[in-house]
Amino acid sequence: MSIFEYNGSALVAMVGKNCFAIASDRRLGVQLQTIATDFQRIYQIHDRLFIGISGLATDAQTLYQRLVFRHKLYELREERDMKPETFASLVSALLYEKRFGPYFCQPVIAGLGDDDKPFICTMDAIGAKELAKDFVVAGSASESLYGACEAMFKPDMEPEELFETVSQALQASVDRDCLSGWGGHVYVVTPTEVKERILKGRMD
Amino acid sequence: MLAKKGVGLPSFLKTGTTIVGLIFQDGVILGADTRATEGPIVADKNCEKIHYMAPNIYCCGAGTAADTEAVTDMVSSQLQLHRYHTGRESRVVTALTLLKKHLFSYQGHVSAALVLGGVDITGPHLHTIYPHGSTDTLPFATMGSGSLAAMAMFESNYKEGLTRDEGIKLVVDAICSGIFNDLGSGSNVDVCVITKGHKEYLRNHLLPNPRTFVSSKGYTFTKKTEVLSTKIIPLKERVEVTERGDAMEE
Amino acid sequence: MKLDLSGLESTVPHFGTSDGLSHGFPTAPSFDLPITGDFDGFQKEAIQMVKPAKGTTTLAFIFKEGVMVAADSRASMGGYISSQSVKKIIEINPHMLGTMAGGAADCQFWHRNLGIKCRLHELANKRRISVTGASKLLANILYSYRGMGLSVGTMIAGWDETGPGLYYVDSEGGRLKGTRFSVGSGSPYAYGVLDSGYRFDMSVEEAAELARRAIYHATFRDGASGGVASVYHVGPTGWTKMSGDDVGELHYKYYPVTPSTVEQEMGEVSGA
Repeated sequence: MSIFEYNGSALVAMVGKNCFAIASDRRLGVQLQTIATDFQRIYQIHDRLFIGISGLATDAQTLYQRLVFRHKLYELREERDMKPETFASLVSALLYEKRFGPYFCQPVIAGLGDDDKPFICTMDAIGAKELAKDFVVAGSASESLYGACEAMFKPDMEPEELFETVSQALQASVDRDCLSGWGGHVYVVTPTEVKERILKGRMD
Repeated sequence: MLAKKGVGLPSFLKTGTTIVGLIFQDGVILGADTRATEGPIVADKNCEKIHYMAPNIYCCGAGTAADTEAVTDMVSSQLQLHRYHTGRESRVVTALTLLKKHLFSYQGHVSAALVLGGVDITGPHLHTIYPHGSTDTLPFATMGSGSLAAMAMFESNYKEGLTRDEGIKLVVDAICSGIFNDLGSGSNVDVCVITKGHKEYLRNHLLPNPRTFVSSKGYTFTKKTEVLSTKIIPLKERVEVTERGDAMEE
Repeated sequence: MKLDLSGLESTVPHFGTSDGLSHGFPTAPSFDLPITGDFDGFQKEAIQMVKPAKGTTTLAFIFKEGVMVAADSRASMGGYISSQSVKKIIEINPHMLGTMAGGAADCQFWHRNLGIKCRLHELANKRRISVTGASKLLANILYSYRGMGLSVGTMIAGWDETGPGLYYVDSEGGRLKGTRFSVGSGSPYAYGVLDSGYRFDMSVEEAAELARRAIYHATFRDGASGGVASVYHVGPTGWTKMSGDDVGELHYKYYPVTPSTVEQEMGEVSGA
């Protein structure tokens, strides 16, 4: 089993009309053994910027701590929030720094820009950015997620429909993956509010 | 289990690619497909493989996506600094040397295969650079997994002194032959035309693979997602800060 | 390392025309071999990897009223769930059940084979085969294929002239008689529940609930187990299926949750 699948994870981010959703599963496992079912994979960087980190949990947490550190320095120096595009470049740079001994994780970044334009992006373990207009996926359930999102996604969804689509895609995908699932965690972000929901899912 | 025996190991984003370039009567044309793959999965259906190096130089990248991106970004910033320093337009050979020096020093571990093209004071130039740092100077060049398919088109149809339209046509044909005959390449055609003092980046110049199977009705769900808990956090209103010239500084 | 297959090549030229084309192929046809010293072992491991139903939880135990047999229903290949509705309890005959863990095809085939042998025994001897005998038939077959890549971990449970019978049989040739077994990747979790809750003088209902609970807890902790928890009971009159519960629903039956009301965090009133 690949080191990327050691803990198991599923991550997806989708764009709607002036909003975005980012969702993850809640399992932390060691290979096939489930250790926790309330694990946080999605982190909030500032009000309207989120990052989900799939892959090896220890690397994900280390990477997150380094990102928070760098973001705080940026805030102090610039007295403003980081733009999602800038943040993506920061993540990419931190990952490529370790080109020949990488962090074994694949991040998903989602945020709202200054003009309320949603931005989503994913990259591989060494920071090759993949900017997409519609949706991005990562984790051990990524193959199923590609399929589900490819079928379910439609452009310019309103927040509630976006939530339903993201949740259904996530649940459908993790139900075909041994290493992820055990509930879901969804954030829907609009220019005015962040809606955080915990999903009820199969616990096997 | 198989990985332990030397097969596999972490998979990175690769660009199983067709990239090409040719010299025509008044400059250089570069072309690329837009598929990014991760093993058998198409990770990005419309990625950019023609990278900016300098206003008069562009570079197509094949191999590990992060490496091509990083190496071109790094060299392009070195070129920019060099321009600030000298106040002159960058030369293609400068870019070529910087790239090959970097790649050679990493002994092929930075897996970037590049097609570098541009027009400078000495005229149009086209080079290919291999991951180990060796280079070629050619009138037409192809790289990536679709290079054989693309080279077939070039070998049979290239001649000296092509016009702009003929050149673009040939580049598009070469990329299309990669897209349709090589499984690692696909989606759309990007083209970049560089002439003396002018360049034209034709992003998605041709879209030979539009989606045909998407249902117009959309998708409806029979069972609504069950939610255990919801938390709503209203965001602070974003205050518009307008700066006036006579405003008092705090 | 390459295999030289030049000996297999036909000496007659393949091309009818005797042009210079065929001179351009100097190398003998060959294919890459995996980089390993132990090729047989590699091949066996590779076969194991693509076999479905690697992860499983099955259990069986003898109690006052007979034998209780239970299993999950998930089949997986690596991390991928290939089915959530596999029948892992195989009905050999009306008085005997087998459970399935390891390779799905190996288990299915050899249980069917055992079913045939049991029936032939019945016809020849005018009486049903004992569980002891049936399990020994299977164990002997599996032993004869030992080391050849079969992957079977099974329990044979049934009722015969001597009363309830339970045996564990595996493809390594092992055969154990016992009162309590669990097999598969989820077995440690199932044993935990089973051992703490087991009493010999349970009622059928109590035993069924214990079996169900053991399977449920295994599916919760084990990524490779899941789907439906089916429970069978074997009594003096033969086996009956007690229940088949979707584990997805079972979890919320054991641990009910009530959706909480929407929690609204108050925003700072601007200007206040």
